[in-house]
Amino acid sequence: MLKLDSLVKRFGAVTAVDGLSLEVSRAEVFGLLGPNGAGKSTTIGMCVGVIAPDSGRVTLDGVGPPTEPRVRASLGVAPQALAVYDDLSGWENIEFFGRLYGLRGRELKARVGAVLDIVGLTPRANDRVQGYSGGMKRRLNLAAALVHRPPMLLLDEPTAGVDPQSRNNILDLVRTLAQQGITIVYTTHYMEEASRLCDRVAIMDHGRILAIGTVPQLVAGHGGKSVVTVVRAQGEERTETDEPLHVITRAAGEGGVLGLRIDRPDLESVFLSLTGRSLRD
Amino acid sequence: MHAILALAVKDLRQLLRDRANAFFTFGFPLLLAIFFGVIFGGAGGGGSGIAVVVVDQDSGDGAARLIADMQADSALTVTLMQDRAEGEAMVRRGKATACIVIPDGFTAAVATILTGGSMRIEMVVDPSRRAAAGLLTGKMNELGFRQFGRVMGDTDSMLAAVGGAKERVLASEQTDPVTKGLMSMMFDSIANVARRANAPAGNDGDPAGGGGLADWRPVDVVVRELKDESVRPRSSYEISFTQGVVWGLMGCVTAFGLSMAFERSRGTLLRLSVAPITKAHILAGKAISCFAACMAVQILLLAMGVLVFGVRVDSPMKLGAAFGAASAGFTGVMMLLAGLSKSEGAGAGMGRAVVLVLAMIGGGTVPLFFLPQFMQTASKISPFTWATLAIEGAVWRGHSWAEMGLALGVLGAFGLVGFVVGTACLKWTHAS
Repeated sequence: MLKLDSLVKRFGAVTAVDGLSLEVSRAEVFGLLGPNGAGKSTTIGMCVGVIAPDSGRVTLDGVGPPTEPRVRASLGVAPQALAVYDDLSGWENIEFFGRLYGLRGRELKARVGAVLDIVGLTPRANDRVQGYSGGMKRRLNLAAALVHRPPMLLLDEPTAGVDPQSRNNILDLVRTLAQQGITIVYTTHYMEEASRLCDRVAIMDHGRILAIGTVPQLVAGHGGKSVVTVVRAQGEERTETDEPLHVITRAAGEGGVLGLRIDRPDLESVFLSLTGRSLRD
Repeated sequence: MHAILALAVKDLRQLLRDRANAFFTFGFPLLLAIFFGVIFGGAGGGGSGIAVVVVDQDSGDGAARLIADMQADSALTVTLMQDRAEGEAMVRRGKATACIVIPDGFTAAVATILTGGSMRIEMVVDPSRRAAAGLLTGKMNELGFRQFGRVMGDTDSMLAAVGGAKERVLASEQTDPVTKGLMSMMFDSIANVARRANAPAGNDGDPAGGGGLADWRPVDVVVRELKDESVRPRSSYEISFTQGVVWGLMGCVTAFGLSMAFERSRGTLLRLSVAPITKAHILAGKAISCFAACMAVQILLLAMGVLVFGVRVDSPMKLGAAFGAASAGFTGVMMLLAGLSKSEGAGAGMGRAVVLVLAMIGGGTVPLFFLPQFMQTASKISPFTWATLAIEGAVWRGHSWAEMGLALGVLGAFGLVGFVVGTACLKWTHAS
């Protein structure tokens, strides 16, 4: 559905995106992970047509570039910034964005009501957004991306700064949308979210894709070994292994075990293993 | 068009929801118009005359005639008081521009004019109103001359003055006999002329009807007003509401000029940019909302002026054209401001500075005719000046279409240039 082909974008001497290629299939939830400055936002910007690539091409179902109105009408974008108007009510915000996508009359009213219901904001629909909590604004931000029934959603850190309840609601919603056949590109710093939601994940840094695949594939390929920690009276023993069950069985046979802990590799260890542990600004 | 209207309606909603913006666009100009309308006199062709207090310490006929002349003069508003200290207190409190004291002996002094005497009056002025005091000095000299004319026009007064003058010359020790003789002959001749002039026409003591020197004026200034009453504002509100309207336009400019910076910093510009609309749609939406707000503020303010404060409009059609041109011009200024504002902070600072400077040099704070010549020339770059001219042209100046053409054209040009330059300077992405 979405195809990025050899995208390059430079800002002066800095190469933000360096020959990036990937494909996202229909109804897939695709996670784009990377540390700050990895090139995620530039990539998303090129996907939605607000940043023009120096070279390469973005197409949606073979149609491009994304500046074309037909492509834009197929995209729903929830930017990381809360791109809603505080002076307007939730209803007025969604109605306004619906109008920009050509909705009107009964259809517009029905869609506004439906998406506000989906994100759980119907009871506060007529309140001004300035009175909303951070989580409510996030959900409204998502509703604005959904109002025109786009077949593809680009969600840029949709759970940043929200409480656990709103976060859970948003994650459930994303999963539901994917089940309805909507293709979703999802960027986040929360590895647990990506593990829970994404069918495939790409980890990028310095403008390039470092690894791409399902979470189990990435963990198997880049996560390293499990660590089994056996606690005895005389101290702890740490063992790196691909077969943690064997280590545990052996330790149990030796006796004197006060406790056991298994640290299995996960997406975070994959991420740190690929992008390093040095701080990024 | 549907998307453009949606953008425009959204911006107008936001303007009305923001109480501060709504106040500075609609409320503040109205208060300004009422305030200045009241300050400048409310009604009666731009206000009454210079307020003066007169203290008559002479109580003679001469003083009474001078006071009557002052009261009859439309340039003066006279308040009579008995006590000089009370009069000076009025000046100190700003209730009057000057306290004019007519001292004891004023009437007697009128008769000594022919031999070098003078009619002395005292004037205590407010130092903060020197310009008005200067005007007042000239006015008092004019009225003083009128008293001299009266003496010369009234036969009895003139004969008494000439007789008195002759006696003083003959009694003078500094004057030689030949000069005394010549001057005595001159005074006798003047007395004879006065008696002859009085004989056929009679003498009823009315200087205006007596002929002779009663009507004599050293400088005959003919004052002619432009056309007729229709070219003067019928009340000060016709000036102050025009100024209020233009301040309202400035309010629209500052409110909408920042909106692009707000959209950029809040991330909504990104959402607008990814919608299936063009940048032209977004800009047109902004322009239309600003234009509509400008029209609304003008119509509302002037309607208030007409319905409540008696402002009368000479030509509604020309007023419509003036409103349209002013809205277009100020929308251009808004687009320029929006294009140059790279951030909210920069936009707010620039907006205040630009609006203040344009208002100051455009006569928004001090009427243009009070400004020095170079400022009046500089005012041509301010849309404030042209909007004021266009609206006044339709409200009370009675301008023809040809006379209004320049102001309408300049405002249109402001709109066009501002839109083009502002659009070219607009930054579509967030700075961070």
